Amino acid sequence: MKNRLRVLRAERGWSQADLAQRLEVSRQSVNAIETGKFDPSLPLAFKLARLFESSIEAIFCDEN
Amino acid sequence: MERRLIADCKTNNPAVWRFTRRFIVLSLLYGALSGLSTYGLLLWHPTGIVIWLLAILPALPIAGAVLLTARYMAEEKDEFQSAVLVQSLLGGIGATLVVIIVWGFLENYAHFRRLDILMIWPLYLAFVGISYGLVKARYK
Repeated sequence: MKNRLRVLRAERGWSQADLAQRLEVSRQSVNAIETGKFDPSLPLAFKLARLFESSIEAIFCDEN
Repeated sequence: MERRLIADCKTNNPAVWRFTRRFIVLSLLYGALSGLSTYGLLLWHPTGIVIWLLAILPALPIAGAVLLTARYMAEEKDEFQSAVLVQSLLGGIGATLVVIIVWGFLENYAHFRRLDILMIWPLYLAFVGISYGLVKARYK
């Protein structure tokens, strides 16, 4: 699923490792989500939304 | 750069560390119990239920390894790592089943040598390992 994670992360000057630490997941997880290869669960998507003070729809793009 | 590479290769995931530590203990136990079982059966010439008990001893750590995997899945908080493991296990199970079934038909119809059932576990571990590498490469 396409998303704006890389942009949001860059805006805050966070590395993938920084974001991973904040989400309490591995850096590989952040990379897989960012590249659209892995779709996060709803709880993790909500966690991302809270972290970026945004909505899930503003981070992830529904391709359908 | 070097520190970054080392950080990428190492894991600070506590669930992975616990799983690795427990798996090593079970592997050592498997080796010890296999030796005990083999020598016990050869040297002591047991009878009755003792033969059964000695024979199944090495299988206990393998059953433990299966339970250990289930425990790891319950302890793993990183859903991506869980997904990678599940896909690797499915790949390993699938490949092992296919190889065994193909070999079974070859035994029946092409007179291939009988496959030792004890080979299934190392075969499964090898396929899970290969599958894990392929799954990880897919997400890079």
